[in-house]
Amino acid sequence: MLKLNLYQIILGATALFFLATALIKFFSGRRTQTFFKLLSAIVIWGSILIFSLFPNLTHNISRMFGLGENLNTLIFIGFVAVFVMIFKIINIIERIEKNISEIVRKEALGHLEDKKTTPHDLPQL
Amino acid sequence: MQEKSGAYIILPVYNEARIINRVIEEITQAGYHRIIAVNDGSSDDTFSLLNQHELIVLRHLINRGKGAAIKTGVEAAKTFGAKVVVTMDADGQHNPQDIEKMLQAVQNGYDVALGSRPKSPKTMPLTKIVANCVGNIVTWLIFGLWVSDSQSGFRVYSQKAINLIDTASDRYEYESEVIKEIKRHKLKFIEIPIEERYTDYSKNKTHKQNFINGLKTAIKLILSA
Repeated sequence: MLKLNLYQIILGATALFFLATALIKFFSGRRTQTFFKLLSAIVIWGSILIFSLFPNLTHNISRMFGLGENLNTLIFIGFVAVFVMIFKIINIIERIEKNISEIVRKEALGHLEDKKTTPHDLPQL
Repeated sequence: MQEKSGAYIILPVYNEARIINRVIEEITQAGYHRIIAVNDGSSDDTFSLLNQHELIVLRHLINRGKGAAIKTGVEAAKTFGAKVVVTMDADGQHNPQDIEKMLQAVQNGYDVALGSRPKSPKTMPLTKIVANCVGNIVTWLIFGLWVSDSQSGFRVYSQKAINLIDTASDRYEYESEVIKEIKRHKLKFIEIPIEERYTDYSKNKTHKQNFINGLKTAIKLILSA
């Protein structure tokens, strides 16, 4: 039987919540949830879930890489932080790109009203 | 032919000043006069050349990509109540004479007619054949629908199809996203062989879909699946 501390339960439950949300969003076909976002969520929250349930894994990994005991936690936190940042930045860029296209499209279509009669008046061969 | 005069031709145009006049003349000579050209932030004379013709010219202030330009054209066609929409490239690769058989297919009940280029080394550069094959496989793996030319920009859509298809891709991955939408909405589609004209101009274009762009398209497809 797995004996868990309070912090492990909180971290595990949080990770499970975000993982489940990401999976539900993806499989319900929401347009905002891309495969990449799902993958990022699995990597980030999956790692948090695994390391919170099996904290000794970090010791094994750090020993495998020959790192000191304290350093592994620092590296792990660093990786998570970087992943979260990349994830957020990609989301922001995607949203901005989409917004720019929408603005450009609206501006282009805004001039359509003046031209609306033109195509129907064109001579037919 | 009723569909011939009723079809709206959408041309996404980016820096095609050298050839655009000829492309438009060919389309009008083939009997199609409802042309919507979307100048996608060209930095050459394309926009002023387009304005010399009797067609609807829309302008993207900045370059947003082929997918974004087609979407703008489709939105414009919808406001005109278009019954059929034809999309084709503006670099002269597509032969407007092929439009008729594609329109015929839509008239016969298909929602989408996809132009399919011949995959012979005699008519298509080998690198294009390989890239096309990879594009088809990636599209099939991600979207689950096999088509023989997932990257062809020569397509005809019925009114039902243009109302249902909703894309988000701005660049070349647009073509594959349409395939996804065809599957999602269970649209009836047919692939029709078309002529592909590889000219010195089209081969030397700097902004064409090359290997690196193809790779980017494949990555974007995977990320946006």
